[in-house]
Amino acid sequence: MITKLSDIFERIDTTQDRKRIAVVAAHDENVLDAVTLATKKSIVDAVLVGDREKILEIADAHQFDLTGCEIVDEKENIDAAYTAVRLIREGSAHILMKGNVDTPTYLRPVLHGTEGLRTGDILSSIAIFELKGYHKVVSLTDGGLNIAPDLKTKVSIVRNGVFFMNCLGIKKPKVAVLGALEFVNEHMTATIDGALLSKMAQRGQLKNCIVDGPLSFDNAISADSARFKGIESEVAGDADVLIAPNIETANVLYKSFVYLANASPAAVIMGASVPIVLTSRADTETVKLNSIALAASINLQ
Amino acid sequence: MIKRLSDLEQYLRERNVKTRLVVVAAQDANVIEAVVKAKKTGIVDVTLVGNKRIIEDVFARHNYELSGMEIIHEENDTLAGVTAVKLIKEKKAHILMNGQESYFGASLISKPILDKKDGIVKGKTMSHVAVFELEHYHKLVAVTDVAVNISPDLKAKAAIISNAVFLMRRFGIETPKVAVLAAIEVVNDKMPATMDAAMLSKMAQRGQIKNCIIDGPLAFDNAISEKSALHKGIKSEVSGDVDILLAPDIETAGTLYQSFMFFANAHVASITVGASAPVVLTTKLDTLETRFNSILLSASTYLK
Repeated sequence: MITKLSDIFERIDTTQDRKRIAVVAAHDENVLDAVTLATKKSIVDAVLVGDREKILEIADAHQFDLTGCEIVDEKENIDAAYTAVRLIREGSAHILMKGNVDTPTYLRPVLHGTEGLRTGDILSSIAIFELKGYHKVVSLTDGGLNIAPDLKTKVSIVRNGVFFMNCLGIKKPKVAVLGALEFVNEHMTATIDGALLSKMAQRGQLKNCIVDGPLSFDNAISADSARFKGIESEVAGDADVLIAPNIETANVLYKSFVYLANASPAAVIMGASVPIVLTSRADTETVKLNSIALAASINLQ
Repeated sequence: MIKRLSDLEQYLRERNVKTRLVVVAAQDANVIEAVVKAKKTGIVDVTLVGNKRIIEDVFARHNYELSGMEIIHEENDTLAGVTAVKLIKEKKAHILMNGQESYFGASLISKPILDKKDGIVKGKTMSHVAVFELEHYHKLVAVTDVAVNISPDLKAKAAIISNAVFLMRRFGIETPKVAVLAAIEVVNDKMPATMDAAMLSKMAQRGQIKNCIIDGPLAFDNAISEKSALHKGIKSEVSGDVDILLAPDIETAGTLYQSFMFFANAHVASITVGASAPVVLTTKLDTLETRFNSILLSASTYLK
């Protein structure tokens, strides 16, 4: 059982063989801050793809130490994105990170049919939290990419989430499919999908996991609450992965953990041949550093 | 728990079940034959609604004992249906029988039963349950619904299950095992039967459908054979020990029913439940045994 994010980060290889992160449009103060901190801690080496002049200017102004950082000069963001993905396909970088670039441009080369990085059906965003009131780390998905996933997309989101936990060494994660209530209600798609995904796991259509749903959030994370409701479930109160019905639910839950429960999550995008870091401007430096560390901790092989 | 339909009579007698059967358009020799046999068990009393002259003629021709048979004369079959339903509503009779048609919607009695004001269905779902005794299965198994619901949605399916569960519990099966049938055992978003099955399973697990264990989707072989289920990697409490087979639609249920009858030497008893009284709805092709069994099965709904 993993109780702390720092337990995950212990897996990072900080030797000479450490991973290399390719930063797209690295000319960004916040991102450079986090990346140079990560290189300083030997979490990763970095290849900064972007406007060399601006990168050097920012580093100089804020006294960021660029030791362990290679710079590849690309003035246009879209070129930077393609170059970074090429570096990963060539094996000279192992993590992709978003800098001062909009998300569609950042992801376009990733999603490219023949020259991209996609391995699964879809990409999905996963955040992992260490919460004071919960006995272990818990993942939440998808608060970033898939807006209103249908059943098929949810299947892929669950698969990515399970694979993510597998990569962290949790062999058979418990997956809670969230709904507004724990019953099947034909007018609430989330509850229907919860029931369908449970059965799919039971029938082996979703492997290496135990899925239960629909579960309301309290049932998923509190055994007492589940017991009170008379729910018999292996997952209730012991969930490793929370599947939100849509991006709004995931996003609100993410932010309530951060703002009201003082959590500093780490987040990555799964579904590609390498972990992809896509932190937002609003994320703190800790979250950015955590996310780099998380990406460096995951061995996708 | 009884394993054979032929044990029904003794099972009901031991439990002192006593009911009154009312027969609609009773001027039918086959129906009268079954009713006479049922009356002899002492489990049912009989009211025959129909053409009195023809009814008495049938009795005379076959030397059936007429005494103790209540006859209400009604030449018009449609009005006979109305009269019979009225008796049920007034609790003067407890089982409704119509020996003529198989499909409920086309039957004489469907209209008076479903009538909003004078009918005997109070917002509930009626459904047909056929209980089979099969040569190669270790216990009785119910198939539903071959006669009332054509293409039930999720809500209707939940009600159909509850009706069948109610019936099977009369035989001392505390928690009947329900298999929701589909063409395959996995969830497929292009096959609504598999999706409904997954939802119904969860609904039972969450207590939305009570007193039963539901698993589905299951293909027919997975439902009745544990070996077949294990071969497919299905771990299920229901597989190989199913009490109730829920078909996705009337065609599947009907085909299953007929194949049991034609190829598996099955014995069957079937009734419609969900109204305030059970309804026996057998076809012209049914045997005396089937009609008799069905009357007794109806009486069993009055077991506590």
